Amino acid sequence: MSILEGLKFYAGDTAIHKLDPRVKFLVSMLMLLMVVMYTEAWILVTLMVVQAAMAYAAKVVRRWLKTIKGSIPLAVLVFGLNAIFFITTGTHATLQEVLYHSATLAYRLVLFLSSFSIFFLTTTPEEIGLTLTSWRIPYPYTFAFISAIRFTPIIAQELRDIMDAQRSRGIELDKGGPLQRAKKLVPILVPLLANALRRAYELAEAMEVKCFGATKNRTSLRELKMRSRDYAALLVSLTLFSLAMYSRLFLL
Amino acid sequence: MEIVRVEGLTFTYSGSEVPAVKDINLTMKEGEFVLLLGPSGCGKSTLCRCLNGLIPHFYAGKMDGKVVVAGMDVTKTPTYVLSQHVGMVFQIPENQLFSLTVENDVAFALENLGIPRDEIKRRVDFALRAVGIEELRGRSPFELSGGQQQKVAIASILALMPKLMLFDEPTSSLDPVSAKSVVDIISSIRKEFGTSIIVAEHRVELLADKVDRVIVMQEGSIIKDGKPKEVFVSEEFTPYGVPVPKVVSMAKGVNRHLRVFNDMPLSPEEFEQGIRGFLYDKVR
Amino acid sequence: MIKFDSVTYVYPTGARALSDVSVEVGKGELVALMGENGAGKTTFIKHLNGLLKPTSGRVYVDGKDTRTLSVAQLSRIVGVVFQNAEDMFFLPTVEEEVAFSLRNLGFSEDVVQKRIDWALKFMELEVYKKRSPFLLSGGEKKRLALAIILAWNPQVIAMDEPTVGQDSMQKEKLKEMIKQLSLQGRTVIISTHDVEFVAELRPRVILMSRGKIVADGDADTILTDGELLRSCSILMPQVAATMSRLTDLGFNAKVISVEEAVRSIVKRLMEIEHTRRA
Ligand SMILES: Nc1ncnc2c1ncn2[C@@H]1O[C@H](COP(=O)(O)OP(=O)(O)OP(=O)(O)O)[C@@H](O)[C@H]1O
Ligand SMILES: Nc1ncnc2c1ncn2[C@@H]1O[C@H](COP(=O)(O)OP(=O)(O)OP(=O)(O)O)[C@@H](O)[C@H]1O
Ligand SMILES: [Mg+2]
Ligand SMILES: [Mg+2]
Repeated sequence: MSILEGLKFYAGDTAIHKLDPRVKFLVSMLMLLMVVMYTEAWILVTLMVVQAAMAYAAKVVRRWLKTIKGSIPLAVLVFGLNAIFFITTGTHATLQEVLYHSATLAYRLVLFLSSFSIFFLTTTPEEIGLTLTSWRIPYPYTFAFISAIRFTPIIAQELRDIMDAQRSRGIELDKGGPLQRAKKLVPILVPLLANALRRAYELAEAMEVKCFGATKNRTSLRELKMRSRDYAALLVSLTLFSLAMYSRLFLL
Repeated sequence: MEIVRVEGLTFTYSGSEVPAVKDINLTMKEGEFVLLLGPSGCGKSTLCRCLNGLIPHFYAGKMDGKVVVAGMDVTKTPTYVLSQHVGMVFQIPENQLFSLTVENDVAFALENLGIPRDEIKRRVDFALRAVGIEELRGRSPFELSGGQQQKVAIASILALMPKLMLFDEPTSSLDPVSAKSVVDIISSIRKEFGTSIIVAEHRVELLADKVDRVIVMQEGSIIKDGKPKEVFVSEEFTPYGVPVPKVVSMAKGVNRHLRVFNDMPLSPEEFEQGIRGFLYDKVR
Repeated sequence: MIKFDSVTYVYPTGARALSDVSVEVGKGELVALMGENGAGKTTFIKHLNGLLKPTSGRVYVDGKDTRTLSVAQLSRIVGVVFQNAEDMFFLPTVEEEVAFSLRNLGFSEDVVQKRIDWALKFMELEVYKKRSPFLLSGGEKKRLALAIILAWNPQVIAMDEPTVGQDSMQKEKLKEMIKQLSLQGRTVIISTHDVEFVAELRPRVILMSRGKIVADGDADTILTDGELLRSCSILMPQVAATMSRLTDLGFNAKVISVEEAVRSIVKRLMEIEHTRRA
């Protein structure tokens, strides 16, 4: 679950936090493109250094490292699968090559996740919502997105409560074979579902009372505005990216 | 001015055989503060839903009779229109908050209505101030305590500036001090803005001395309706009936031995006055 | 029966929910755990049957360290009823819900049937035996949750916020049942901030605030100490609040029950009148 930890927003007040979320998103996307374009180790390492610098500037280094740590099992899986794939298909001649290519693939995955982790760690879900709205995504989708974030911790707590209540009745969730364990999910899932239904009803009632869907022309308390520092950041990252593109196409 | 007029209201939820409310007749003056009492399942929530249009627009069922609120026929008015005149606050705070910051939650209904941004800002400021939670505006609702969350829920309804506010057991999960501060906010809203208010609540001690009127329901019908003193005085303290504030039981107990209270006290303050007045009269 | 020995509990998030809590609850005691929202009451209760194990310190149940026993083993001694009864229900009938726990805990079939009958009767739910738990009213659901736990006859019963959302009639029933369980010699621990309920029950009160025990004593003493209560976001019950306003006239301020208050008021008024006459 520590991967998810890296996707959770923590309030902060750094220059990175203050950047327009659309700019931050674009930077993440550009990073992603670079990761896709290059397989050279030194470039990938440089990208990681750039990310580390950003994480440092945003004061989220520890959480960012957590994401990286959390993505290792996934990376190992990718590494393993690729190695098997390369070996069975004989794509690469030597074992060394197989290992090298599998490793860069796995590393690129880590890079990709960590880049988005910086975005999520420094952008409030509310801002993400506003970004979606500014892209003319219909409000119900944005609302669904925000609600998912809003209610995930609540549902997680509810799950814990239910497990506690059932364990107090003598259900031993971690004992028995796979079949028995699957059967023990019923006393957890039924109340979870029943609670979810009740909650959904209550939420719908409250939405109704708060005039949800009253008009198509929904207004918004906050609005995203690009400031000069946002344009500056945009310019710098686009320039760097173009340089990288140029060298990829004409120099290397 | 009349804010609520209910005539011969009966409602049966679809899938259910017995009506949840039966033949309700009720009028309420603008600015009145009503405490709605009655055992669990007597129809308090159902009655509230009938007043803000959740019934029949949201809950399906069979509805007879007439409900007019703020001059609008509830059956013929869409809920989003009604909601601007009749606000409702529910029992569980976390299930009526949707946003990731307090101020967005307070703005939520206004945004849904497409109100211009400047007006929203003004109203959000107003509502946060009225409820006394300005310092929470940038916080996330799910890191707040239950009492604070309930205040946010109240502010988010208040921002609509409704003429009538309904509260369905607003304090039942809160500790006593938070419960009292929520109740204080409700009565200050009434005082400052003249909002008409109905509160459904089991804990009578919290509200007995603040309301103008007590309505008691049982099995879907109104069985008592009057000033708090009248309702509680006529009621013996029996655990199986209408709950009576402890001061009323005390005063009745004392009166059985000595005629101390001519006027029934509804709060410790009034009880104290009664005792002191009695001793003072004796001296004269 | 229960012993907390400087227990500290820190949630994985870093929230310090109990800090250095030491307390003992004897066999057959009736205890109310009171304190503000977030004081640590639920966390305390979860330590009783080992759902949570102390971060530091020890919890002993019937002399045994809770770290050495499983939740199932501890639950046979300490039955815990949580706030939300609906978190338990998943079977089609009331009867099966009760049977389920009994079978989990390894009771034989003939005992199971007897225990179901006894528990449902005690909780006044026999008529609902074949009904779905989801169709019960709020108060009945709460009583069913209690019946499920009572059925295996645990020596200690712990209830988290049993009165939330309950009407006065259901609270009255609950109060009678708690009294009876206590009379039968069981140890009963309830967590609540319902002062009026506690004032009627008159148990030993353990007052918590921010993870610490700030007071421990009988209800009459603690519920009449306005300042102490206020520091835990609790208000005096109405009887005590009323009497405390009249102390200057020589009224006894340490009363929490209506009957006692009436007796003491009448007596004092008579006295005052008497001295005036003389
Ligand atoms: N959504 C629903 N569908 C079907 N029946 C319902 C629904 N909501 C309530 N009822 C039934 O209508 C009756 C009145 O319920 P209502 O919720 O109005 O009572 P209440 O006085 O608010 O009770 P409480 O104090 O427990 O909140 C009850 O018998 C209840 O079971
Ligand atoms: N699962 C959890 N993860 C992290 N922190 C928690 C968890 N459960 C409770 N806490 C925190 O521990 C503290 C004590 O909580 P607890 O639920 O024990 O209080 P309580 O006295 O039962 O409160 P209430 O009256 O609201 O039920 C609180 O600060 C709470 O935020
Ligand atoms: Mg209700
Ligand atoms: Mg709790």
